[in-house]
Amino acid sequence: MRNTTTSEVQLVGDETTLNIARAALFAALVGAFAYVSFPFPGTPVPVTLQVLGVFLAGILLGPVWGGAALVLYLAAGAIGAPVFSGGTAGVAILLGGEPTFGYLWSYPIAAALIGLVVHGGLEVRDPSAVGLPRLVGAMVAGTAVIYALGTVGFVFVTGVGVVEALLATVAPFVVPEILKMAAAVAVVRSDAIRAG
Amino acid sequence: MTLVYEPGSSFAHRLDPRPKLAVQVTFVAAAFVHTTPAGLVVLTGLTLGVLAAARTSVRRSLWEYRIVLPFVAAAPLLQGFTLGAPWFVIEEAVGPALAGYRVLLVLLVTAAYVRTTSVRESRAALQRLVPGRTGQFLGMGASFVFRFLPVLQADLGRIRDAHRSRLGTERPVRERIALLAIAGFNRAFDRADSLALALRARCFAWNPTLPELRYTRWDVPAYAFALGLAVAAVYPYL
Repeated sequence: MRNTTTSEVQLVGDETTLNIARAALFAALVGAFAYVSFPFPGTPVPVTLQVLGVFLAGILLGPVWGGAALVLYLAAGAIGAPVFSGGTAGVAILLGGEPTFGYLWSYPIAAALIGLVVHGGLEVRDPSAVGLPRLVGAMVAGTAVIYALGTVGFVFVTGVGVVEALLATVAPFVVPEILKMAAAVAVVRSDAIRAG
Repeated sequence: MTLVYEPGSSFAHRLDPRPKLAVQVTFVAAAFVHTTPAGLVVLTGLTLGVLAAARTSVRRSLWEYRIVLPFVAAAPLLQGFTLGAPWFVIEEAVGPALAGYRVLLVLLVTAAYVRTTSVRESRAALQRLVPGRTGQFLGMGASFVFRFLPVLQADLGRIRDAHRSRLGTERPVRERIALLAIAGFNRAFDRADSLALALRARCFAWNPTLPELRYTRWDVPAYAFALGLAVAAVYPYL
């Protein structure tokens, strides 16, 4: 491959640079959240915070860069960064190598959808000024996308029936998801968050 | 410690990343088509061959992926379980059990890739395979994710330690999550701002010079293997 010479350099614009840096850091944070689990009441399995990362990507970065952040998350995982659940990685996982692959594909869609509902369009506005019903509605819609694709992926990979898949992929996570939504609202409403 | 790239001199280390990606893709396809006892026996042999070529230990790889294993085991148990006698129908559980074993094999093949391919090579391959600005964006973004994942993991670890030492574990779960997320996101935003500044100072470009990817004779058997898997995947439909 040829070296890039001075005259050919295509500089990235200042605003785009910041957006790329934020999207990449968000993607890395969603990956890091895969390693953070909390014991939740009402479910025997420890639940990670990845979905909270998806919620906040849409809310804080907006539909375009929030979605882009989760696309970067998938790209990094595909080429070997251990960011998928359980520290797995590899393009084979995205192609159905693992039962959770439906969740992975749902993340960028859910983040973009949440961003679209919260910001009421592609323009990013101050998320702390958004009303509670809109915030919660956006996250419920995003969660529906995540569960739908997650369940379809689980059925496709493991060959179980839809009822069994729902028992494995949705039932244990309903209570944790509600707590994560509450946490996301607290984050957005907090004076301490330095987004924007 | 999760499974990450380790420099080495195995056969798989010498390969170009592109045939290795091709093997992963065709392996999944072939494994999906041949999720039968006989097919899985053959695929097990191939998986052991791939791991040997990458000098990657089966036991260690499985240990690294131990968190995923309960999900794999849950599917056949759920499918076989019935409400009422005889409580468990073995025939029902066979399909999901075979699928679960297939997942294990695929995970081991991905482990061989992860352990033998450096970030720079992977990024170069990604940008070769996805053309234009999209590929450039994915390549630069993915390499930042690699770089910052351990940094942010350490940040979150420190934040949790700080909460623990101040009896933060006594708070309700919702509050603990919110506190961790706020601190975590603030760190990430700060780091993103510093990174953006550093990138601008160093003439951040869409088209930096990437490491050279050049095929060698070692790549021929790897591509042949991928081709064989692809043929195995489509053969039943011909």
